[in-house]
Amino acid sequence: MRPGESIGRRLRISGILVIIGLLVEALCLVWSKPIAFVVLVCFGGALIGLGILVFLHSLVSGLPHTAGSCGTDHEKK
Amino acid sequence: MPTIPIVILVLFSAVLASVLVVRPTITVSRAGKILAFGVLFFLPLFSLLAGMGNEMQRSESTTFCLSCHIMEPYGKSLHIDDPTYLAGAHYQNHRVPADEACYTCHTDYAMFGTFRAKLGGLRHLYIYYLGTPPLPQDIKLYKPFNNRECLHCHLGARSFEQGATHNADPATLPAIKANTLSCISSGCHDVVHNVGRWGDKVKFWDGGS
Repeated sequence: MRPGESIGRRLRISGILVIIGLLVEALCLVWSKPIAFVVLVCFGGALIGLGILVFLHSLVSGLPHTAGSCGTDHEKK
Repeated sequence: MPTIPIVILVLFSAVLASVLVVRPTITVSRAGKILAFGVLFFLPLFSLLAGMGNEMQRSESTTFCLSCHIMEPYGKSLHIDDPTYLAGAHYQNHRVPADEACYTCHTDYAMFGTFRAKLGGLRHLYIYYLGTPPLPQDIKLYKPFNNRECLHCHLGARSFEQGATHNADPATLPAIKANTLSCISSGCHDVVHNVGRWGDKVKFWDGGS
């Protein structure tokens, strides 16, 4: 898999997690029962948090490996 | 922040995120990268914090507390037409905010009191959904009611400081302030909610919010 495709896939996963988390949050906000807060934090918050983490991971993993690749090339030589 | 604007913000964020899911290639451009950061980091985080803040605020409302079936008699006790019922007298005369009546008396007016009150609420939820909830009349406070919660409002008030009963014995007022004599102890303000002990003659006031 090429790096661009990998980043695109991670962005998709991140987006899907965030969307589901946001939808859970929206439902909890209109659901006026005490359990809604727990669902919001445990499910909505976890999904959104996971989505953000996947997005941040995609940013980090998507950086050009200039320094690293130089080192690898040097070691190969 | 009211609920509706937060819901709109949350749904707006979800719509923007769906654009990225459908077309992740837009992140190739600089503007796309900025959009991705806003949509997948800033907006969800802001929406989550706003939503949690809103839920925390809502958890302080009287309607929130009374939305549990088990709390219904306690809500009803706020409408008892008898001034000797402490909770009802406070609620009906707006000595506590009517829309935050439960929270005003049952929160902990100490450092991290609000946080402790929320943790207590989570414990209620745990018992309600996963434990064996007691009958309404069998519900007890986790620990004795601290006078500090009453004194948060009453301390320094003329009716409290110069009240005849409070000053009948010079030791009474210092004992109340030191929490060694409970405000709701027997013979004082001991009729609070009295759920399960109302009898047939109790009347209800149909006013209020």
